Amino acid sequence: MNDSTGEARSGPSRRGFLTGTGAAAAAAAGLRGELAPAAQPNPAAPAHGPGPVLVELTVNGNKLSTTVEPRVTLLDALRNHLDVTGCKRVCDRGTCGACTVIVDGRTVYSCTMLAVEARGADVKTAEALGGDRLDPVPAAFADCDAQQCGFCTPGFVVSIRAALDKNPKATPEQVEAALTGNICRCGTYEQMRHAIVQLCRKGG
Amino acid sequence: MAEGWPKKRRLLGTKVKRLDGPDKATGRAKYSYDVNRPGMLHGVMLRCPHAHAKIKSIDTAAARKTPGFKALVLVLPAKDWIVVKAGGDALELRSVPNKKKKEKEEQRTVKVTPGVTILRKNKVVAVADLKPDDVVQVEVPDDAVGRELFFAGDEVAAVAADTEEHAEDALRAIKVEYEVLDHLVVEEEVIKNPKKKTTPGALEGNYDTTIKDATKGDVEAGFKEAEATVEGTYGVPVISHQCLETHGLVAEWDADGGLTVWASTQATVATAAALAGRFGLPPAKVKCVTHYMGGGFGSKFGPDVQGFAAADLARRAGAPVKIMLDREEEIIAAGNRPSATGTVKIGGKKDGTITAFAVDCYGSPGYTGGATINLNLMPYVYGDAVANMARSHKVVYTNAGVARAMRAPGHPQNCVLTEFAVDDLAAKLGIDPLVIRRKNLPPNNPKADKVSWAGRRHDIYTEQLDLAVKLSGWNEKWHPPGKGKPGAVRHGIGMALHTWGGFASGSTTPNECSVFISKDGTPTAETSTQDLGTAQRTVTAIVVAEVLGLMPTDVLVKLGESVYGFSSGSGGSTTCPSQAPAALLAAQAARDDLFKKVAPKVGADPKDLAVEAGKVVDAKNKKEWGWKEFCGRLGMDEAKGRGEWSLAISNEPENANISSGQVGGVQTAEVLVDSETGVVRVTHMVAVQDCGLVVNKLACESQVAGGVIMGLNYALFEENIFDKHTGRQVNPDMEFYKLGGLRDMPKITVHMQDMPERGVIGIGEPPTISTAAAIGNAVFNALGVRVPFLPLSPRRVLDALAKGGK
Repeated sequence: MNDSTGEARSGPSRRGFLTGTGAAAAAAAGLRGELAPAAQPNPAAPAHGPGPVLVELTVNGNKLSTTVEPRVTLLDALRNHLDVTGCKRVCDRGTCGACTVIVDGRTVYSCTMLAVEARGADVKTAEALGGDRLDPVPAAFADCDAQQCGFCTPGFVVSIRAALDKNPKATPEQVEAALTGNICRCGTYEQMRHAIVQLCRKGG
Repeated sequence: MAEGWPKKRRLLGTKVKRLDGPDKATGRAKYSYDVNRPGMLHGVMLRCPHAHAKIKSIDTAAARKTPGFKALVLVLPAKDWIVVKAGGDALELRSVPNKKKKEKEEQRTVKVTPGVTILRKNKVVAVADLKPDDVVQVEVPDDAVGRELFFAGDEVAAVAADTEEHAEDALRAIKVEYEVLDHLVVEEEVIKNPKKKTTPGALEGNYDTTIKDATKGDVEAGFKEAEATVEGTYGVPVISHQCLETHGLVAEWDADGGLTVWASTQATVATAAALAGRFGLPPAKVKCVTHYMGGGFGSKFGPDVQGFAAADLARRAGAPVKIMLDREEEIIAAGNRPSATGTVKIGGKKDGTITAFAVDCYGSPGYTGGATINLNLMPYVYGDAVANMARSHKVVYTNAGVARAMRAPGHPQNCVLTEFAVDDLAAKLGIDPLVIRRKNLPPNNPKADKVSWAGRRHDIYTEQLDLAVKLSGWNEKWHPPGKGKPGAVRHGIGMALHTWGGFASGSTTPNECSVFISKDGTPTAETSTQDLGTAQRTVTAIVVAEVLGLMPTDVLVKLGESVYGFSSGSGGSTTCPSQAPAALLAAQAARDDLFKKVAPKVGADPKDLAVEAGKVVDAKNKKEWGWKEFCGRLGMDEAKGRGEWSLAISNEPENANISSGQVGGVQTAEVLVDSETGVVRVTHMVAVQDCGLVVNKLACESQVAGGVIMGLNYALFEENIFDKHTGRQVNPDMEFYKLGGLRDMPKITVHMQDMPERGVIGIGEPPTISTAAAIGNAVFNALGVRVPFLPLSPRRVLDALAKGGK
């Protein structure tokens, strides 16, 4: 069930021991493999702002548009201007993962991306995993009670969905590695491990 | 005689998935933070940047001209005035004295300059609109001058604008001059300067030494009797609730002068009542909605300054306003858990008897508030078995935000100060600390009911210790402190015990639940209580479904709206033991009403009818009807029932099996400690917990595992750190205020003791209490050196190793 106990069974080892400690700090330092590389400045690109700029993008399959100032993050554009609120604002500085969305196939902290950077992008939030057929990831969370207050949950669910999309044969350890940038306060990690095991057994 | 819980349990105690699981996991659940009302404005708070200051001047003129600006509110006490004379730019007012408080009538004359705002019946009015005897509220910017602010983060003003960005711009345009005053943010600095005064109140300094000592027996004689005595100083820091959904609300006034708020709160009814009071409204005209709540942990019981400000901005702007705090505000200004540092002396005998216990401790609740620890609960859990004690506590006021209740207030601190000392004593005596724990368990009270906690607490703890020993492999894994396998990475195991109440709410008005059964057979349960993530929505559905022979998914639960009858705030683990019995009685009453209304139509006597899974049966006449078929005979009628429950009702002897209180728990921690890097890793936690009648085993286990994880965070990561020079918190965020991630978590073994005969008891708080103490003791067991202060950061571990425990 739970590989974190493996080291206890086979005796302490330094390598296994250090895995995972300080997960939050590692994520903050940008070590998270799934993050998109920073965009390089393009001198030929036109300047935007300071007034509102038209942002057109696809969110969960729907073509949407809004006008926002260039300083507005993708998270705030989604929540405040497009009423897409599955992505949550918690730390607002790229630490906790509650705002995780999938932009053109890659997980992104939507609080660290400007809305204007997402023009033309295909954005998926947790809402895309609901609808008529519940996606196996949120279904596993519901089955295993891997959520309490649930405010961090959409971020975790999106991160797991992306990890499994990338590697449908991912092991529970690999899925856990994709969650080093997500934080839960209620302490649902034990039940989350049950959900991850269920998902990996079913092949994502 | 109450019917009580069903003898045969079909759903109760089983694992039931929470009803709102898919909605939460797919982002469809709308939290208060997610509510976007048509035409809604965004509000933000202006806060004092200094740890202690007075406002010298405030100029809002420029802010009012920024793009998108809609309204501004100064944070000042609310007060009603009666118009004596109004004309031109002058307003003569007299106060409404509170006769109960023996207030005298005041007069004041206000020159109505552009910054002055006048409100009548919650609408902004001009001087020309006023008549004598009108009741008004008046905001005069000069009233803010001289206001003293006591921490970096103290609220000064709030603005609302069409976008959040514009609101931030307007906030930056407010010009405030401060007179910066001396501050103290580090507790040890307060103790060093006991006469230095930087906080409000009547004390000479910031150091309150007047709390009464709690003594028992003869502590000196007890220490003389001891075969070994140890003294140590241990402590836990101030930490933050870190609710992921921050505090705040959306406020909207309607055309009839009513107010609706969507608030992130643990108390819909109390929040609505506080707003009604503040804005002079009958309680029925305020509605507080909390359909989903993103964590509270004891910090969210009312509108708070920002909630009043949002409603005030909304009445001034004539549009809905949302204020949700940002992460920094959440940490500095929305509550915290107070610290406790104590010097503990403990003496005992080789058979494990604690002969004497003395503690002298202090802690900080911020700039105001009371004691941070409950001395009467020291030594924690073992107090009733120890004959001789001396206990004292002092309060240290610092220029920091004020503490609020946090998950079992005082208990984790009490637990650490006690359980660290117990293990240090065991080491000195050269015995397994389990021996001390077994020897000093609280005795059963032979006069108490055998079903009650008091009548069997010694037995409950003994059974829990046996289970924890077995599940953790204690007897095989425990070794004398520091005497495990040699090597850089050392293994240790530790233990701690806890207790908590978890009774039904003691509020005078009982908690209510109503159940309606419509002719299509759907039962609807209505209650104003809130689901903080505890699965209360599902608890109500399970109870109603159990009584009516249905499945939880068949029940429509409407909760989290203050208009659905009375409910108390969700604090003290009182919600489930208040609401589950209320739902039980409501469902039973609705069922009886259904029988009464339908029996004549099917030629039965209501007394002969009973519910079985999916049907109604008349055993006497050997007839049965499907549930929907039976309910269909209601025709245009509906069946309904109401239930109410409180501590007083639960205390009636015939109700002891419906809900009760007081639980015990034992936790063990196994750790690996790297003696070269100082990193602590917890590898296995065992939590043995009782909570009476388990309603939903799945959610119950989640609560316990979640409590353990929160306790692990207290043990290893969490601390509010202040800079004594600037007076500001240096880590009001989530990267330097550390919380563990999935890969920091151990395997967690939860064992629930089901004791249905004790009725429902709350479970939210107890399982977080003893975790940190158990982990601290495991680290001691690994190293043979006490790391006395939490969190057990690498630096603290290495410092303790360097000092060799001296």
